[in-house]
Amino acid sequence: MYTYNPISALLVFFVAGGLLYFLFRPAKGWYWVLKNQFISNEKTIIEDVLKQLYHFENSNNKVDMKTLVHMLSFSNKRIVDAINKMTVNDLIYFESDILKLTEKGREYALRIVRVHRLWERYLADKTGFHKIEWHDRAESMEHRLNHDEVEELSMHLGHPKFDPHGDPIPTKTGKMAQVKGVELPLLQVGAVGRITHIEDEPEVIYKQILAENIHMGSLIKVVENNSTRIVFLSEGEEFKLAPIVAANLTVAPLEKEVAVEDNVARLSSLNEHETAKIIGISRESRGESRRRLLDLGFVKGANVSIDLVNPLGEPNAYLIKGTSIALRNDQAAKILIKKD
Amino acid sequence: MKQNNIDNIIELSNELRWQIGDEFHDNLTESIYADAADIVKDSVRSNDSKRRFRLDAKIDKIVTSKRFGFPIMFLILGTVLWLTIQGANYPSSLLANLLLDTIHPALKSGAASLGMPWWLDGFLIDGVYLAVAWVIAVMLPPMAIFFPMFTLLEDFGYLPRVAFNLDALFNKSGAHGKQALTMSMGFGCNAAGVVAARIIDSPRERLIAILTNNFSLCNGRWPTQILIATIFIGAVVPKSSSSLVSLLAVIGVAVLGMAFMFGVSWGLSKTVLKGEVSTFNLELPPYRPPRFWKTIYTSLIDRTLIVLWRAIVFAAPAGAVIWLISNIHIGNESIAAWAINGMDGFGFLLGLNGVILLAYIVAIPANEIVIPTILMLTVLVTGVGVGEGAGVMFELDSINATADVLKAGGWTLLTAINLMLFSLLHNPCSTTIYTIYKETNSVKWTVVASVMPVILGFIVTFLVAQLWRLIF
Repeated sequence: MYTYNPISALLVFFVAGGLLYFLFRPAKGWYWVLKNQFISNEKTIIEDVLKQLYHFENSNNKVDMKTLVHMLSFSNKRIVDAINKMTVNDLIYFESDILKLTEKGREYALRIVRVHRLWERYLADKTGFHKIEWHDRAESMEHRLNHDEVEELSMHLGHPKFDPHGDPIPTKTGKMAQVKGVELPLLQVGAVGRITHIEDEPEVIYKQILAENIHMGSLIKVVENNSTRIVFLSEGEEFKLAPIVAANLTVAPLEKEVAVEDNVARLSSLNEHETAKIIGISRESRGESRRRLLDLGFVKGANVSIDLVNPLGEPNAYLIKGTSIALRNDQAAKILIKKD
Repeated sequence: MKQNNIDNIIELSNELRWQIGDEFHDNLTESIYADAADIVKDSVRSNDSKRRFRLDAKIDKIVTSKRFGFPIMFLILGTVLWLTIQGANYPSSLLANLLLDTIHPALKSGAASLGMPWWLDGFLIDGVYLAVAWVIAVMLPPMAIFFPMFTLLEDFGYLPRVAFNLDALFNKSGAHGKQALTMSMGFGCNAAGVVAARIIDSPRERLIAILTNNFSLCNGRWPTQILIATIFIGAVVPKSSSSLVSLLAVIGVAVLGMAFMFGVSWGLSKTVLKGEVSTFNLELPPYRPPRFWKTIYTSLIDRTLIVLWRAIVFAAPAGAVIWLISNIHIGNESIAAWAINGMDGFGFLLGLNGVILLAYIVAIPANEIVIPTILMLTVLVTGVGVGEGAGVMFELDSINATADVLKAGGWTLLTAINLMLFSLLHNPCSTTIYTIYKETNSVKWTVVASVMPVILGFIVTFLVAQLWRLIF
């Protein structure tokens, strides 16, 4: 009837399939890369340069052309062009070979930082994107929103003061709250504090922190601190971090000697036949999921126990206010309890 | 008030917002909840020990236990499906007898005695009436059995435990445990499964459940699978084991559908649905004796009749189209013959043929009429001496006669296997497509849900056909 070679048909199929894959695979597909190249115009470069300078100046580091070119992933020529233009427009100036922001440049940079952090807040509260992706998505969004859209976004989110990593969001007028606290390695053994900031750059370290399941806003107690590792207790679990990783956590030591609840734990650590009282929901649980938990009765002071253990490990069913509610472990880890 | 004053107040409010801090809003909400809880504690008296009485807890311990949980689940769901398929046989053939073998000829002779022109009589009675009658005969009995049983289980409180047991599996593919229920519902009818996805309150997981429901082999497709498996797959093994092997083949296709459901769920949650909000919670309500008659009544009205009505609305024009393409001639060939010839090449590449592809296009409204359409079209192009004429769908009483027609149409074992695969992996019927649109309110997701399974079907049948031809 019809004659053809199945092998050549298969070959054509796999070549076409492979081509489609390389064109459209998420993030690294050629189509997306080309599209990004196309979008990243001079404005993007200028804004990225401003932001880098702003961060460097805030941490009292000096930047010359070489470091800057190294930091940004654009071609040298485009960066040099952008910098020339920025000097002409009075956004930056040179002090010998060190680049500095002018007052106007600083204002512009703050605006970009504001959009970036607001957008991270938005991604955290209103969407389902994973933490790992917030930063990159905000990186591309910060160049796209105009002034009015930013104001609307801020209002929509209730004018938040901090982004989900604990970085302060500058206001419209450039005002910015202070992050309280010091880097974790600077705390003494025995010190008690609250995590107020988790740095999301560089990504390698951030991923490590996420893998450890460390939550923003949780109380910690340092139990060991030396040059090889830092060990601290938090919410009934013990965490061990290398100093370089721990340096990305900012902890505010508690000013008053509040009675630290010793047996605070996460709901996920509750065993069958144990009962506990709920202390609160970690700030790590946001937006819709947080409201849902509150709606279901996971509020301060409520009694909770395990109703059913799942045959596959999760979700377990918890008995709360006379109702049996199943929660997955990652949710239960964000509910803080005190075991009876 | 003067503008100046308003500005001052706004200024002050901004200042205050700044001072009270970020956690204020959260704390406020939480304290309202906590206060409410306190008030309840003081003013509502309840007997804690009575609330979860012992029987409840005992049943729960058994149906969610490691040892018995899964066997009980498979047993119950398997029984429901078996009862549906077996139990529907008798009323289905009764309805077919009445609607197809008695009323249809009566209508034809009535039309003849009225002197109706052949084209009007063909269009209305052979086209529209026959399609509608077919859909009712095949669709109504299984749904009238399946939905009440399923609703009874739901009402009793067992189904949330199934979701509870299986959630870990669904979680791995980014879905919600309750998708186990919408999936099972899909075995009855995909349109009903899509509606059932309302029980999933997390937007992302609900969309996943809607988009993948089509991978549950629905009632309209079970008979096709069973017929083809019996004719072709049962025939390659010794007679003694043929019914067992063809049964296993059909179950294999259904299980393959579940595998696709998990795979596609995973793919969707990792790509296009990544940004949708995802929350999880699952309430396990106390068991209660089902309200038997009320359940039966509501499941018949809410699920069966609504779905059936939609199917009829869509089947009527399909019947008309089927009759028209077989009876309108361009040159000396009917439209159907032209279309079949045009698609034969592509069909062959997929291990199918033009007849099957055309049947799946015109039978988008209802999977139930795929086999009658295939038979009619095969007779139309091969000229085998059975059937009722161009555009008149038919089914044969004996499986052997059906096999003869299909073999005359050039069917091989490969055609049969690929038809079974394509029956699993093709676009949802138009009732389901319409329901998906109603539920998601989005053209985009409706298109995704309709096109994605067809593409998957093309890919799978293509690969199977090439491998088959390489090996045999």
